[in-house]
Amino acid sequence: MSDKLKQNSYWKSLRELAENEEYKKYEEREFPENAAEMTDQVSRRSFLRVMGASIALAGFAACRRPVQKIIPFSEMPENMILGEPLFYATAHPFQDSLNGLLVKTNEGRPTKIEGNEAHEGSGGRTNIYDQAEIIGLYDPDRSRTVLNNGNEASNEDFIEFASGHFSETDQRILFISEANSSPTLQRIRSQALADYPNSEWVTYEAFNDENQIEGAEIAFGSRLRTINHFDNADVVVALDSDFMNPYGHKNSVENARKLAGRRQIQGTEDSLSRIYSIESTFTNTGSFADHRLRLKASEIPAFTFALAAELSGSVSGLEAFSGVSNEFSGHDWVSMLAQDLLESTGLSLLTAGYGQIPAVHAAVAAINAALDNIGSTVTYHDVPHFGEENQQNRFIEAARELQNGEYDTVVLIGSNPAFTAPSDLRFEEALGQAETVIHLSHYVDETSRIADWHVNRAHFLESWGDGYSYTGISSVIQPQIQPLFGGWSEIEFLNAIVSGEWQDGYELVRETWQEQYPDDFEARWREILHDGVDTELNFEEIEVSLSEDFAGQISVHLDTSPVSGIEIVLKPDAKLFDGRYANNSWLQELPEPMTKITWDNVALMSPATARELGIPDERRLKDKDTPVIRIDTGDSTIEIAAWVQPGHADESITLTVGYGRSGLGRVADGVGIDTYPLRTTEALYYRQADVSATGRNYEIACVQDHHSLEGRSMIREATMDEYRENPGFATFEGVYGFEVPGMREAREKGDDQPITLFNAREYPDYEPQWGMAIDLNACFGCGVCTIACQAENNIPVVGKREVGRRRMLHWIRTDRYYEGDEDNPRALHQPVPCMHCELAPCEQVCPVAATVHSDDGMNQMTYNRCIGTRYCANNCPYKVRRFNFFNYSREFLTNGDDPEVVQMAMNPDVTIRFRGVMEKCTYCVQRVSRAKTKSRQETGSKKPADGAVQTACQQACPANAIYFGDLTDENSNVSRAKQNERNYVMLEELNVRPRTSYLAKVRNPNPEIG
Amino acid sequence: MSKTYEYVHEPVLVKGDHDFKSITALVTDVNLRPTPTGWYIAFGIANILLLIMLVSIAYLIWEGTGIWGLNTPANWGWAIINFVWWVGIGHAGTLISAILFLFRQDWRTAINRFAEAMTIFAVMCAGIFPAIHVGRIWVIYWVFPIPNQMAMWPNFNSPLLWDVFAVSTYFTVSALFWYVGLVPDLATIRDRIKSKIGKVLYGTFAMGWRGSNRQWWTYEKSYMILAGLATPLVLSVHSVVSFDFAVSIIPGWHTTIFPPYFVAGAIFSGFAMVLTLMIICRKIYKMEDIMTIDHMEKMNMILLVTGMMVGFAYAMEFFIAWYSGVEYEKAIFILRATGPYAWAYWIMITCNVLSPQFFWVKKFRRNVALTFVISIVVNIGMWFERFVIAVTSLSTDFLPSSWGYYTPTLWDVLTYVGTFGLFFTFFLLFLRFLPMVAVAEIKNILPQADPHNYDENGNYIQPKVEVPEPNRES
Repeated sequence: MSDKLKQNSYWKSLRELAENEEYKKYEEREFPENAAEMTDQVSRRSFLRVMGASIALAGFAACRRPVQKIIPFSEMPENMILGEPLFYATAHPFQDSLNGLLVKTNEGRPTKIEGNEAHEGSGGRTNIYDQAEIIGLYDPDRSRTVLNNGNEASNEDFIEFASGHFSETDQRILFISEANSSPTLQRIRSQALADYPNSEWVTYEAFNDENQIEGAEIAFGSRLRTINHFDNADVVVALDSDFMNPYGHKNSVENARKLAGRRQIQGTEDSLSRIYSIESTFTNTGSFADHRLRLKASEIPAFTFALAAELSGSVSGLEAFSGVSNEFSGHDWVSMLAQDLLESTGLSLLTAGYGQIPAVHAAVAAINAALDNIGSTVTYHDVPHFGEENQQNRFIEAARELQNGEYDTVVLIGSNPAFTAPSDLRFEEALGQAETVIHLSHYVDETSRIADWHVNRAHFLESWGDGYSYTGISSVIQPQIQPLFGGWSEIEFLNAIVSGEWQDGYELVRETWQEQYPDDFEARWREILHDGVDTELNFEEIEVSLSEDFAGQISVHLDTSPVSGIEIVLKPDAKLFDGRYANNSWLQELPEPMTKITWDNVALMSPATARELGIPDERRLKDKDTPVIRIDTGDSTIEIAAWVQPGHADESITLTVGYGRSGLGRVADGVGIDTYPLRTTEALYYRQADVSATGRNYEIACVQDHHSLEGRSMIREATMDEYRENPGFATFEGVYGFEVPGMREAREKGDDQPITLFNAREYPDYEPQWGMAIDLNACFGCGVCTIACQAENNIPVVGKREVGRRRMLHWIRTDRYYEGDEDNPRALHQPVPCMHCELAPCEQVCPVAATVHSDDGMNQMTYNRCIGTRYCANNCPYKVRRFNFFNYSREFLTNGDDPEVVQMAMNPDVTIRFRGVMEKCTYCVQRVSRAKTKSRQETGSKKPADGAVQTACQQACPANAIYFGDLTDENSNVSRAKQNERNYVMLEELNVRPRTSYLAKVRNPNPEIG
Repeated sequence: MSKTYEYVHEPVLVKGDHDFKSITALVTDVNLRPTPTGWYIAFGIANILLLIMLVSIAYLIWEGTGIWGLNTPANWGWAIINFVWWVGIGHAGTLISAILFLFRQDWRTAINRFAEAMTIFAVMCAGIFPAIHVGRIWVIYWVFPIPNQMAMWPNFNSPLLWDVFAVSTYFTVSALFWYVGLVPDLATIRDRIKSKIGKVLYGTFAMGWRGSNRQWWTYEKSYMILAGLATPLVLSVHSVVSFDFAVSIIPGWHTTIFPPYFVAGAIFSGFAMVLTLMIICRKIYKMEDIMTIDHMEKMNMILLVTGMMVGFAYAMEFFIAWYSGVEYEKAIFILRATGPYAWAYWIMITCNVLSPQFFWVKKFRRNVALTFVISIVVNIGMWFERFVIAVTSLSTDFLPSSWGYYTPTLWDVLTYVGTFGLFFTFFLLFLRFLPMVAVAEIKNILPQADPHNYDENGNYIQPKVEVPEPNRES
């Protein structure tokens, strides 16, 4: 035995020493390539491997001591303290943009994604997709192996095949790639196109911004990216655009951050921007707007042209529209918008949604140009990877060519066109016309199943990469962990095809960047990796001017007619996007930001449309079922649950895609209805359809069953004028006209809080005292706080049945209320975490003192002490306590054949809760404790500096709506927020004295509308 | 000047021309006779229900409280409703045995024994629910102040902890009271029973009772003391149970009317349950001479009074909700009457407020069939009262976003139905093996026990008493 051992390296020998089947399986699964990679230069990764293996081997080593000299673990590897998380900068690529991140890793496991504050675009903020990638990484349903015609194969088999197959350079290859901004991928792509002269490269995304790019081309003559600077805009007009949500815009985080920044007023002298939204579906951006007009999606072009026509009378540059006359000419909104836009020339901003036709985008660009907005609120940039052609159209052409057998080999780099491509392309069938189909993907999805070769893809947290943010900030994507299931990144995959051999992504990325920075590369490289951003590499801003023949180009599009009868609008899903997140349980269980529905897609319609279809326009509190409707477009028919969305445009039905999967994974399968069959090349966004009620019902799990505030003052708001007149409008007295009961008596006694029977637990001597403030003027209800909290606090997923029984576990929820006219209400969002009441009603009633107050003012939950009477939850006026009715954690963490994988996503600083205990928001007490320890070590003070503790929800919030910190520090952000006149607490009259307060909403309506 | 008045004619408490011997035989022969087949059938059904309860509880412990229909706004459901309902039923027994004893209401003697038995079994049924409704049943003992190495102590602020003490004290005192009253009767059976084992068992539990003067003296003192102890418990237990709701801050719960309202409701439902059981027992065991129509009429009067009291409380809740000006309080009462649970609310009103109104009429008060129906209707109504209180307040409280409808599951129903199995198993055992009427006490109130005021023919003569004329000048 010893002879055999001597030949081998240290780790290999231990493995063979063990000769243990179980360990072998473990090792193969988790770190399949570790032995081959001992020379890896990144010490963290080696360390991870060593740690992983040593844990597994601890038992064996004890009974069979190795004969060689082994080194005890008496010295810590550099920068590594067990139990201390490490943060590494990386970025999340999404289509052809990315968002800068800092990833928290515990003992080599990425456990939480945070924004990278050094990243100018995101400003350290994230969206729901960024946050949910953690559970995406640890998804046990991800593909674990290469498949050749459905049979398991190895990566070596694929390389062998590729080196043979691709040695023939004159074959006709079609490369279909996801939108990707990676310079490395572009480099290999150029090489591929050079090596294979008969090849074609198409970028395919089911939902893309090609219409906007083409709009810029119509207006300015070149394919440019439009970047909106919402922080500079006084008047914002969104035309069917939900630019604050990640499904609606790739730069949603920056958009939301900048737009919300203009709403966070400190006092009456501040000013607000004014936002108008014209849209069909009620979106978060629409709910954030001061004014919202409901129009069918197909009416937006006419509206836009009418607006341009109206403006053409006052500004030059819009002559092309001066002759337009349609049903919106003279519309109240058109004249009102025109007037408001003209009053803020240079400081206004129009933007249109990705789904609107290029002419709308062109008109928007022309209006922005005419109003002198370009350069201040809108800039245009040259993006190197855009290419010359409209890729949307190119893909459609390529699919037809494929159908005609014009390609021998199809290489699909990511994307899932067999599922997402317009149904009339019959892409699945077209793929069959090619001899060889190779598909790289995370899951064995609809396309993989018909491909000859499926190559399992590495997650971005497992692989090297690079790319540009939407605005052009470049980053290098650093892996945080070795690929869990093997798997290659897109650059490794493409490189293997092009070069016929495998090369580490690390080398490939370095090669690209070495070209960029030939001098002093190592130092520069280290800096980029450390910071996570490279500010030097950027998109060039282009000076634009309206094309000479703009009038001629646009004129052909000006005569548009909206869909007659009922239109259906097909949108990417707010949670699953085009279906790529279908197997992501966090996103599936996240309440949809507007409807609050989980685990399903529905057909959204206005109450009037529902009545027209003969289905109830209202849900009663006890209703679980909702009627099913049939949607017939002539070429396909689906049946889907109808959902009445007040504020939706009449005669318009919104459908979202990505659902109705089978065979993809345990989470995705059987959830919702596939609506892609309704999408054709002619109708990528909206079309006419015949809709009828079926008489059947379907159960929907919605987390909010009542949608009216019932006149209660949970959310307080005023217009800017009202606020200036009465800055204290949000106080109790401002709302009710009299003081909080007991306040006058208290003041007579020299007290500033109403009298109480209980001992106030305020610990005036103890510092710090934690508190939170949530600015409702910034919150637009995206739900990222919920996912960030779920990731940070190990909140299990409970599934549709349990959500349907109202047993969701989210610690922070976003309540959404409708107010006003039933047909066109306003929607108000309110994030509700635990209020951490100083006189907490939950604490009084627990028979076993399982929930108690800490010295620093937090209402704490002791899981081990809890016996589960649920009295605390009953007595909580805010209903923020969550109960483990079943052993949700165990079900979530031991489900399936490979439970260890999901377990790796858990935060080691937070207890896993078991069945029968209560849980709730802790103000991220683990973060607070860590900061206090650190502060004490470093400064001797137990008061961490302001900003040293950020709760998970606060950290993630793109609108910066959440403030958290020490209330004993008068200058802390949270103290200053609470000194704001808009500050109020919910249910003040109960005298429970919440530590979480809200800053009231102030709207800025156009006085013309009143 | 004085005037001679006649006392209001009171009907004799025991009908039929019973002497001491026939009374003893009437009651204890039930225990001494061979077991009738009907008893076995009833016992079998009760056992099946008991088994259903045990299976439901086992599954609950195995699977978790999620098998019930609980959800996030309505964290309490049937378990707490059933708890309050069963405790309420128990109240009548103690009221009859202790308070009516202290007030020298001799008619209580006919029904106190089995009313007390009912109390004990109802409290047992009630006690199950708070124990099993918790999430982690295996650490339920943490609610008791047991010194432990964890240095943890219960939270004495919590009404649930008060419940623990209130209900356990109540159970202990009720059981003692019942047992002390049983001792002379156990001795009677001991003396009459033929079987050896019976003699030993009854003898053991009779604790050497020989009926000596000294023993009677001790017995009556201790009975009096226990009655004194039990009397405040009648009021305190349901007051404490009502604190579970009243001490919280939830609209519709947070009201000071709850303690008297709950006590009235408890007596209401308890008397209804005693009536239900009495009407069955007097028929089957032919006890019409002891449990007379007069008894039924008296109890129906109490039903009418307590029913009016709860009706007053319902009205008062509405008035105070309006008068307080608290918008959440107002909203919850409007929602109760018109909202998603309006059906439950109107069932409650119909059963509890309207149905006892029949008893204004003497003919109805003395109608056995009607009384039987109403006694059951009242208990249905009282169950719905607790349902309305517990569920509506929780499901539509402060934040409209969190409003949610509560629907019970099959397991909720089975657990509840199963507790009837427990109740009737014990109750049938009681009927079979213990005298259902306090034999020794009933002898005291026989007409024969009062050897005065009879003419030579043995006919009762109303005593004439001189009552002074009221002094109008003072």
